Amino acid sequence: MMKSATLGRLVLGAFAGTIFTFAAGSAMAEYPDKPITFIVPYSPGGGSDQQARRLQPGLEEALGVEVRIVYKTGGGGAVGFNELWRSKADGYTISNVVVPNVVISAKGKDVGFKPGEFAYIGMTVRSVGALMVPKGSKYGSLSEFVAAAKANPGKLTVAGVGSTGERNFGELAKILGIETTYVPVSGGVGKMMPMLQGKHVDAGMTASNHAVKHKATVDTLVVAGPKPTAALPGVPSEPRWTYTTTWGIMAPPGTPADRVAKLNEALYKATAKPNVVKIVNSLGLTQMRQTPAEAKAYVDAAIKKFAN
Amino acid sequence: MQTLTLSVMFWLTVGVLIGMVVGTLPGLTATMGTALLVPFTFALPTEAGIAMLGGLYVCAMFSDAIPAVLVNTPGTPAAMATAFDGHPMVHKGRGQEAIIGACFSSAIGTLFGAAAYLLLAWPLINIALKFGPPEFFWLGIFALTIIGSLAGDSILKGLAGGAIGLLISSIGISHGNEIARFTFGVPELRGGLSLVAGLIGIFAIPQVLSMIADLRRKEFIAEYKPVGGQTMKTIGKVLAHPVHVVRSAVIGAFIGILPGAGSPIAALVSYNEAVRWGKNKENFGKGDLRGVTASEIANNAAAPAAMIPLVTLGVPGSSPAAVIAGALMLRGLNPGPELFQSDGSLVFSFGWSLLFAGIVTFILGTLFAPLLVRIIRIPLRLLAPLIMLLAIIGAYAIRNNIFDVYIMLALGVFVFLIRRLGFHPGPIGLGLILGPIIEPSLVQAMYISDATSVWNVFFTGTINIILITLSVLSIVLVVWSRHRDRMLERRGMGPGVHLKKPDGPE
Repeated sequence: MMKSATLGRLVLGAFAGTIFTFAAGSAMAEYPDKPITFIVPYSPGGGSDQQARRLQPGLEEALGVEVRIVYKTGGGGAVGFNELWRSKADGYTISNVVVPNVVISAKGKDVGFKPGEFAYIGMTVRSVGALMVPKGSKYGSLSEFVAAAKANPGKLTVAGVGSTGERNFGELAKILGIETTYVPVSGGVGKMMPMLQGKHVDAGMTASNHAVKHKATVDTLVVAGPKPTAALPGVPSEPRWTYTTTWGIMAPPGTPADRVAKLNEALYKATAKPNVVKIVNSLGLTQMRQTPAEAKAYVDAAIKKFAN
Repeated sequence: MQTLTLSVMFWLTVGVLIGMVVGTLPGLTATMGTALLVPFTFALPTEAGIAMLGGLYVCAMFSDAIPAVLVNTPGTPAAMATAFDGHPMVHKGRGQEAIIGACFSSAIGTLFGAAAYLLLAWPLINIALKFGPPEFFWLGIFALTIIGSLAGDSILKGLAGGAIGLLISSIGISHGNEIARFTFGVPELRGGLSLVAGLIGIFAIPQVLSMIADLRRKEFIAEYKPVGGQTMKTIGKVLAHPVHVVRSAVIGAFIGILPGAGSPIAALVSYNEAVRWGKNKENFGKGDLRGVTASEIANNAAAPAAMIPLVTLGVPGSSPAAVIAGALMLRGLNPGPELFQSDGSLVFSFGWSLLFAGIVTFILGTLFAPLLVRIIRIPLRLLAPLIMLLAIIGAYAIRNNIFDVYIMLALGVFVFLIRRLGFHPGPIGLGLILGPIIEPSLVQAMYISDATSVWNVFFTGTINIILITLSVLSIVLVVWSRHRDRMLERRGMGPGVHLKKPDGPE
């Protein structure tokens, strides 16, 4: 009798203890207390993949939880952006974002997300556009490329990422007064490089950091912007071409502001790590540090720029 | 060689052990396994860290054969072809032989792939670069001709199955121009179906359902008595077909190098060629060890080979290779041609550790084989719910999405039903795997055609012509041999092999 009473009290005690722990736990549980999923909307090996892998250890350190990278590729990034749009807005799912891709891939299409409404955490790096040819190409310079394109309108092929690449290469083609055939690559730069290296297209257009990373196998004809890129010495720049690619991190629309702030703080720490800064510099990327409000304004400006 | 220190070997073995678990559980792929492991490798020196990741990758390409053989559910997409003959072997009481055969084949494949990486990286990559969009398109079409050897009792049903698979793979936002297709207003469908969840659905669920249907007749999947000396005997059987072994290894290593193709395609093409060139082809699909070895040699040879474009071009050949690339970049190393110059010893020590991983996989695999095969002695009333549970967890885990579980279950019930009509799940799985290769390459090649002509892009060029010829030959051969069998059958003489339903649980 005595024994069972003791046992009963023990069980009751344990039960009460559990309830107390649960109550205390939920009151004290601070975001984040479980792993965070990080969507990469492009194939492994591209710029988004590189950013995610670069920031993962720093984010994990700053947030104290695991950050799990998942690939959701297709539709020039739209598949991954769509996945984030439908994810729970609790700060446990974030995604890599590429501007202007997130804006252009949604333009006038049934992709299921609105670029203006995501909870932007911050942009981290940017890079100007570049037109590249494989090493050993017939076209050793921009003028040779332009001359060939003018002599054979529509006969030269240029690869780029989805409709974003089409739009931005279109801008350059107009400036140069050339007509070429555009080849869209769905999975991003990771899928585009072998096409270029194997000379299956005449040229490729994407961000210049990829030209730096792959300078052993591709040559750059021109970069966008008012001045040449230090990491690509000797490559001319085209001031009228304004194409810039920007990488950052975003969360689903409606993610609570305090969680966005916490993620932003972690992003600040992750981007400041010396080995991250070293990689960023070696690829010729320009580092950026933004508040969530600045990031939102940055995307809004892109939406305005590509409105028509 | 001096770079392969004791510590590197230790961490590599740890990676192999983790790979054993990752590959065995459907839904956990080598990509996920390596990605989850990367953060832990930062505590280790570079050589040990990437050896651990490489070990996981190599071993997962073996251990995915375990569920494929035992319960007809590939552990990763790369083991689909392993199940074609591996599972029927179990029903013939040869489960242990199938597992050991898969294990030894994986070791051969890995050694061959690693040797290609160490010795032939540069010449091979120059051939691989000749594969552009039209070549990938024809490679996909060529791989589709495998339907001829999988179709079961009717080639039309096989083709229909392949078409169903391809159609399912085209659900979602399109490649290249971002148009949503077949979404029927369901927002979740915009992202397309998960390949892994789809494969679990078409293979595991019909299996579970037929187990339940068979409960009254059967207590276990099959009888199993452990046989002594099986390891040496099986090795002898594998090596008794040297041409077959070399062919499978060459196909595996070559397809592994093509960026974007990877182990699943390598295994399928190798299986198809094994059937085409093998003697007594009527035995395939009914428990022929050669079917297991063709698939396993190739998918393992493709694993080290997928590292070749990474170190020569800076482009990963497969998703796990991309994860390893990420791990290198975080250490400030730029995988690509420069790495050869700046850290050449690292590039080679990685090759040696991949080779060594093949040996460790073999030792551990043969040690565990007799234990693993005991799974088939689990009573069906326990095994069916267990597989169901693993299938649900696997489909959910791939992208933490309950919608994938619904899709998996729906596909599973669908395949269970059409199997009664004589459809085989193989062609559907084939369509699911090949769709994401065929469609984008077709679209890109069509765009490239705008600059010249469709004829010029698709029908000229040595590789295109070779692949087209091989595809046409495969189709003609299948049609002809089926016709011949039917004639023989009518005269009451022949085996009528293709007219019988494939072996396996019905």
